[in-house]
Amino acid sequence: MRLLKRGTGSGEVTKIFYATDLHGSEVTWRKFVNAARFYEVDALVCGGDLMGKVVVPIVRRANGRREADFQGRLTTFDDDAEVASLTSRLATLGQYWYECDEDEYQHIKGDEAEIERLFTRLAKERLGRWVELAEERLAGTHIRCFLGGGNDDTDDVLAVLDQVSKDRVVACEGRLVELNDRHTMVSLGYSTPTPWKTPREASDPELAVMIGELMTKVEDPSRCIFNFHVPPLDSTLDTCLQLDESVWPPTPIIRAGQPVEFGAGSGAVRDAIDEHQPLIGLHGHIHESRGSARYGHSQAVNPGSEYGEGVLRGVIVSLRDDKVLGTQFTSG
Amino acid sequence: MAETRSASSPQGPGVFTRKSSGLVRVMSPRSAIIYNILTMGIIFPWTFVWAPTAFQGSNLVIGLIIAFVFELPLALSYAWLASALPRSGGDYVFQSRTFGGGFGFTVVFGLFVVWILQWVALSGWLMAVLGIAPLMFGLSATTGVAGFATVGAWASGSTGIIIISLANALLSMILLISGFKNYVRFQIVIFISVLLAFAIMLVLFFTSNPQTFTTHINSFAATTAGIKDFMGSATAAAAHAGVNVTPPATFFGTLMVAPIAWTSLQWATYSVEQGSEVKNAHSFKNQVVILAGSLIAVTVLLILLALGLQHGVGQKGIMVASSGYWLGVGEATLNGTLLMPNLLAIVLTSSTVLVVLIGLGYMLNSFQIVCNCFIGTTRILVAQALDGLLPSWFAQVSPRWKTPVNAHVAYFIASIPVIFAYNLVSDWSTRWALGVTFANGLTLTLSGLAAALLPIRNRAIYEASPGSRYNLARFPLVTLLGGLGFIFGMFMVISFLVVKGLGLAFNPDDPTSYLLVIGSVVFALVVYLLMRWHRSRGGVNVSHAFSEIPPE
Repeated sequence: MRLLKRGTGSGEVTKIFYATDLHGSEVTWRKFVNAARFYEVDALVCGGDLMGKVVVPIVRRANGRREADFQGRLTTFDDDAEVASLTSRLATLGQYWYECDEDEYQHIKGDEAEIERLFTRLAKERLGRWVELAEERLAGTHIRCFLGGGNDDTDDVLAVLDQVSKDRVVACEGRLVELNDRHTMVSLGYSTPTPWKTPREASDPELAVMIGELMTKVEDPSRCIFNFHVPPLDSTLDTCLQLDESVWPPTPIIRAGQPVEFGAGSGAVRDAIDEHQPLIGLHGHIHESRGSARYGHSQAVNPGSEYGEGVLRGVIVSLRDDKVLGTQFTSG
Repeated sequence: MAETRSASSPQGPGVFTRKSSGLVRVMSPRSAIIYNILTMGIIFPWTFVWAPTAFQGSNLVIGLIIAFVFELPLALSYAWLASALPRSGGDYVFQSRTFGGGFGFTVVFGLFVVWILQWVALSGWLMAVLGIAPLMFGLSATTGVAGFATVGAWASGSTGIIIISLANALLSMILLISGFKNYVRFQIVIFISVLLAFAIMLVLFFTSNPQTFTTHINSFAATTAGIKDFMGSATAAAAHAGVNVTPPATFFGTLMVAPIAWTSLQWATYSVEQGSEVKNAHSFKNQVVILAGSLIAVTVLLILLALGLQHGVGQKGIMVASSGYWLGVGEATLNGTLLMPNLLAIVLTSSTVLVVLIGLGYMLNSFQIVCNCFIGTTRILVAQALDGLLPSWFAQVSPRWKTPVNAHVAYFIASIPVIFAYNLVSDWSTRWALGVTFANGLTLTLSGLAAALLPIRNRAIYEASPGSRYNLARFPLVTLLGGLGFIFGMFMVISFLVVKGLGLAFNPDDPTSYLLVIGSVVFALVVYLLMRWHRSRGGVNVSHAFSEIPPE
């Protein structure tokens, strides 16, 4: 651990905007891309969990009408305008939709592998469009958009980032990237185990190995950003409901009328921040735990997420050399 | 037009959800209802010791029903807010998103955070006057040990109340700093104790009658305070102070019970449940059940208490007890100890066990109240600090305790002068006690307005929420309920400002109470402007904490 206070430095100020856990929400993605100009930052960093969680089939009936389940209620649509209103709401919520006829719906419904394929296809399509939008809107600027993955994202879908990105978008998952000529960033989207067995989970010892491998590439941790999806353990950035996993879906444990909360973060991440004292730790994963924590000279932040409401939670970080000049939580 | 029906229809399509969805089973509303009931302060005495002589001729039961009717639309509108913004956390965000950050900060900081300091003082006062003092007097009467009465008299005097209040607040701060889970462990004890105390009181009242009560209180007063014919002398003194023990009924007086009862009922919205991010009809219905369920339950409990008092103590006894509080009739107290409902119940029993159970329940609920004060306000302070509107120091988390220690310590320190003022400044613990109901009520009423405007000011958020399908004649139901809640809430807020019997307007020659109200708002506004200026000097635009980024 550093014992001496870091110098204030005399270099240029770099501002980055960090948001995370967009989970397929079109509105929050568009806001994220527009945040670059809105907040006048030099870089956008997204901390992962880009995939949505729900596909809403819109089924064509023989009578020409279409039906869909929206938030637990069956809705029938007479025309394209009504369907467009639905899909607009679904887009805000981060849900996918899939228009099909009855036979197709029944075919997919009972087949888990088909459902998984459908998710992958729709997620890839949406992520591809997102990357194209970012490339288009950031073209001609100096601003780059760094996209990592999260525990909810599959490797298959994340591969789109490398396939579609051209100039402004940088796929940074599992890599060391250069933010600029003064700062680097390492990104890791894996989390500790969750009740839902998400695609990219690892135990703390495994996370420690992954982090260790990334750190072998880092020359100066004091100028390196940790873009680690899972927050440090017991940091208050990782506080969430404790769940009874013996039922499905898991249910919150209640004691004395209050749901029990606990820290679901990673000890490996906490130890890494303690040991390496990076410039700053950027974290997500626990949507309801917006906050900031300090580990020696290093600050760790989690801006939280309200993707389902179309609200973009984020944090603007101002950097100069090996110092964080300030952080500002935003809600757009 | 799109038609909707329950998704339980076997012919309709469902949705496909990833197994790794993060989906959580929706919590049963039962636990949240229980927690909300206790938060709403079934022990708060003001309806029963303020209204009867401040508004002679008022009908407490009808007044409570009116308060319920006034509060219900406001409470229900919160169901829309909570299900539309399940992760946001409360009035500060609801109002900031609708009216802007400056408005949200000023209202919530000035009228809620600052005024809840009075609740910290109030909860200490409750602990002393409703908890310790009646317990001690009861023990003195049932055991014959005079020392208990001495302690009871001390506990209800200014010095005793101040010391107890400081200890109450300090203990709460320490418990919460040590970890919220420690408070939750303790809360089960509070639950059982409060409900048991309340149930015992109801049984005692409903198995008594006014004549029995008179006999008992005379004996009680003789034993504990050396007063003979207590009811005779107290009634005479009350009459001398202008109390008519059998006043004619007045509608206005009954109507004015509602703002007083709002002290309890307005907290129906305090703990809207944090919702699931995958919104569905269940999460919205749950919120409605929690809010309406707890409001109905508390109203029923308070009505039962009012009926119990009428049955077991009688109208004369109620008026006499009230005169000791509102009119300061010394003869209507026991060595300065006010005749609160639980003391009236203690008077009716010779069982030491029942006395202890009643006293314990009230003491523990008083402690829960101060904990709720810290919990609610420190969360707001942390949120406002993260938004850059308060110094970052408030949001710092202790590496050891994993709690925002600074916010807790700051709030405790801020409560110290308020505790002293509450108990030493003339009129504060009586006339101005409901100032906090006014200030907090205004905050909640403005959130009702935010709910009414949700479909207009935050259309995308509203349309993505499960509550958006509920309309009345093509009008969003949330707009109707929020609007109604705003109107009723403002009626009560304005009543506090202009009706003499509600305290703030009691002395037309003394503007102090108004200056306090205006001062708290101005203070909050100054803090906002100062922080905004200070942050801008460091290149930080605080409006980024609230301004919506255009998606196109």
